[in-house]
Amino acid sequence: MFAFLVRRVFAGVIMLIVMSLVVFGLFFASPVDVAAFACGKNCSPAIKEQTRKALGYDDPTLVQWKDFMVGIAKGREYPNDPELREAAPQLVASCDAPCFGYSQVNSRTVNEEISKAFPITVSLAVVALIIWLTVGIALGCIAALTKGSFLDRGLVGISLVFYAFPTFFIGLLLLKFVSIKWGLWDIPEYTSIADGGVGAWLYNLILPSVTLAVVFMAAYVRMTRAFVLEAMSEDYIRTAHSKGLSRGRVLRKHTLRAALTPLVTMAGLDFAGLLGGAIITEYVFNFNGLGKLAVDANQNYDLPTIIGLVVLAASFVILMNIIVDVLYAVIDPRVRLG
Amino acid sequence: MASKKKRMLAVTAGALLASTVLAACGSGDDDKKSEGAGETGGTLYFNVEKPIDHWDPQRTYVGTDISKQSRLVYRELVTFGTSEDAVESAKPLPDLATDTGTASDGGKVWQFTLRDGVKWEDGSDITCEDLKYGLSRNFATDVIVGGPAFYILSYLDIPADADGTPQYKGPYTKKGQDLFDKAVTCDGKTITYNFNKPWPDFNLAIAALHFASPYRAEKDQGDKSNYSVFSSGPYKLEGTWEKESGGTFVRNPEYDKATDDTDSRNALPDKIVFKMGTKLETTYDAILANKGDAACTVSDNRLPPSKFSEIPNVQDRYQNPDSPYADYLWFNTKKLPLEVRQALAMATNREGWIAAGGGERAYTPAYSVVNPAVAGYKEVPTYKDIPLAGDPDAAKKILDEAGIKTPYKIEIRYPQSETADKQAAALKDTWDKAGFTVTLSPEGDVYYSNIQKPDHNYDVGWAGWGADWPSPMTVLPPLFDSRANIQGGSLGQDYGKYEGKAFNDKITEAQNATDLDTQITLLQEADQILADDMVYMPLEIAKFNWVTGKNVDFHTTPGSNSFPDLGLIGLRNGGC
Repeated sequence: MFAFLVRRVFAGVIMLIVMSLVVFGLFFASPVDVAAFACGKNCSPAIKEQTRKALGYDDPTLVQWKDFMVGIAKGREYPNDPELREAAPQLVASCDAPCFGYSQVNSRTVNEEISKAFPITVSLAVVALIIWLTVGIALGCIAALTKGSFLDRGLVGISLVFYAFPTFFIGLLLLKFVSIKWGLWDIPEYTSIADGGVGAWLYNLILPSVTLAVVFMAAYVRMTRAFVLEAMSEDYIRTAHSKGLSRGRVLRKHTLRAALTPLVTMAGLDFAGLLGGAIITEYVFNFNGLGKLAVDANQNYDLPTIIGLVVLAASFVILMNIIVDVLYAVIDPRVRLG
Repeated sequence: MASKKKRMLAVTAGALLASTVLAACGSGDDDKKSEGAGETGGTLYFNVEKPIDHWDPQRTYVGTDISKQSRLVYRELVTFGTSEDAVESAKPLPDLATDTGTASDGGKVWQFTLRDGVKWEDGSDITCEDLKYGLSRNFATDVIVGGPAFYILSYLDIPADADGTPQYKGPYTKKGQDLFDKAVTCDGKTITYNFNKPWPDFNLAIAALHFASPYRAEKDQGDKSNYSVFSSGPYKLEGTWEKESGGTFVRNPEYDKATDDTDSRNALPDKIVFKMGTKLETTYDAILANKGDAACTVSDNRLPPSKFSEIPNVQDRYQNPDSPYADYLWFNTKKLPLEVRQALAMATNREGWIAAGGGERAYTPAYSVVNPAVAGYKEVPTYKDIPLAGDPDAAKKILDEAGIKTPYKIEIRYPQSETADKQAAALKDTWDKAGFTVTLSPEGDVYYSNIQKPDHNYDVGWAGWGADWPSPMTVLPPLFDSRANIQGGSLGQDYGKYEGKAFNDKITEAQNATDLDTQITLLQEADQILADDMVYMPLEIAKFNWVTGKNVDFHTTPGSNSFPDLGLIGLRNGGC
């Protein structure tokens, strides 16, 4: 187990380093002159170069990447210019390790940006996960247990319809009709538990979480149904039935345990993907999570934020992969980590 | 898609406030407007789709943001009033200063005296040193970026380095501080600015832009202060400003109305809550439906054309003024012969362009790249004589008489959007009829980067502009003076690569003029030179479409910018 973890973590770190380098390369290969964009109109070439310096883009790409990696390992101070930091210490923004950089676009460190956006994304992802797993697995089991019935066909058909809906469509539908036109639900505005308590937190998360969950839920109904049916056809299930175990006990203790294994993998990866930002849902509902932060960063050519979010999102996926692999072994006794 | 065009406009048009809008900016719907005086008190909600980039006055260069700052938190030496009349609104009013300033030495020296009793939000006096420090921040171009520093850097009497930048490098490194201290001096409450050339409308410039705003030195943390607000106006920021979500402004007890002679700060609501990031459609869906807080909501994002059909239902809270922008087509003067440019202009279907863009609620035809709101605006006869729907036959005749072989291939570039595609198609229609073979080539975010490249081979392109302050000096030279634009591997804003000696000479004359009337006359002549050389073809003046919640008292917009003005807006019907 330990050797497995060390190997996976090491591979993950290498992957993150390569990804960060690729993002740097892609960013500076873009035909858009970021300094001109930030400098605005009436910008002389000399002022544009000063702007480039202020943004920290005046060094060669590899030097900037190296500084970024140093920041991850040791932390950094901004502005980049040591002479300026010494002359005017009031300007200095300290960024502790692991420092993802300083966003001139948002006038704060990327770590601060992420720390503000992360709880919103996590809240959204967790509530959505609970909705889609609970409803998706329950309906999938019902469909499997009533295979061939009207109910089964109805559930499968409806899930197919929801699966075909784009997330933005569902989000806009809920926002425009449920909130604005019919006034059934206030327009959601993220409220933290500290600010509004659990009730307000959950109330404001319901519509975006449902938006996010619907598509996943539809997929999980179909997959749960398929996995449960597959497990139900196994010999050991027949054996369990022949030993006289109740149908519910067979389902809980044997069928679901086998069927859940692949679902856990998928749920883990889906959840990890959402932790990197539920871009469309956050954008539609104006939730300032990691997804919206990523969109804004792209629109504003905000490299430090882009790179920080890429590394963070990739870290989540790698981490969840490792956790899922470990969970595999826990859920399914046939799996061993080697 | 439309928002992309708006964004492009925002980038190019930058300082909107500075553009004054003439009386014509009124909607013409006066009979339908509410004339309520507005009530004092209540909470006003202000929705903005894209986050405000700066609250730092020296870094703010977007007109609507300058307007918010002026009305709420930052007082200036001089400011603009709230008159709907453009001539009135283009007059600077004393604000922190006792008068509108005194010019001497042919406009090369300006003096202002601070009035008594003006204070910061902590109760301390606003001093001459605060004014001087605020100005000095513009010179730290490696820290204070994005603002309109360009002007003061080129005008203030400080020697330049080899790269053209002033030898003074700002208050952080203090390099060249003695040079700055000579150029800007304080004598008690009187500040004196010394320029290296005449600046006859300096007071207009600082009424429109905030580069000369006072700034308290000990509050300055460079980029870290970007969203800090240290108020001198009737409101102050409660807590902190969050770029993504906004902030709340409450009354500033240290603001003394007795020290403010302007009509610019009625400060009617007790509280103003800014909500950032709400989608334009969501904001207007809620406003039109009057749900909850939306009844007390105003936005400075324009009503999208898709919702124009709702306007008849909300006439009592609708405004349709002209914007301070002008949109135009530039022609590649290095590639297209004069006769080709003239034929293109003659066949330009402005009527079709306007109809495709949303009709008369969205645009009004333009007869110069200078917005009618700018002091000294004059229709250019050359453009006035061209029929709005274009004249393909006359255009064909120009080509034939010049012996230009047709069909003549033309490619038009523009920032892509659904609306822009339709508008470009309208141009293609009449251009094709005139003997051109037109290809539409929309581009994405790289549009402006591409058209600024000196080696671009484009034929025709779209652009938009708004004056920085009500003077053609902030329109014609920034767009067409090759000496200021074409340098350092960039065309600047001279996208058509125009290098006209007669035009440049006229601009030099205008720059050296010591009085405004002479300067304006010279600039009108310069605009005619551009028309004779057919450097650009004006298209339209965009119009704003504003709708507010039913409890917002919103009956006019100021001629100085045509945006919903927080100095005027109050609530009615008891608010929300």
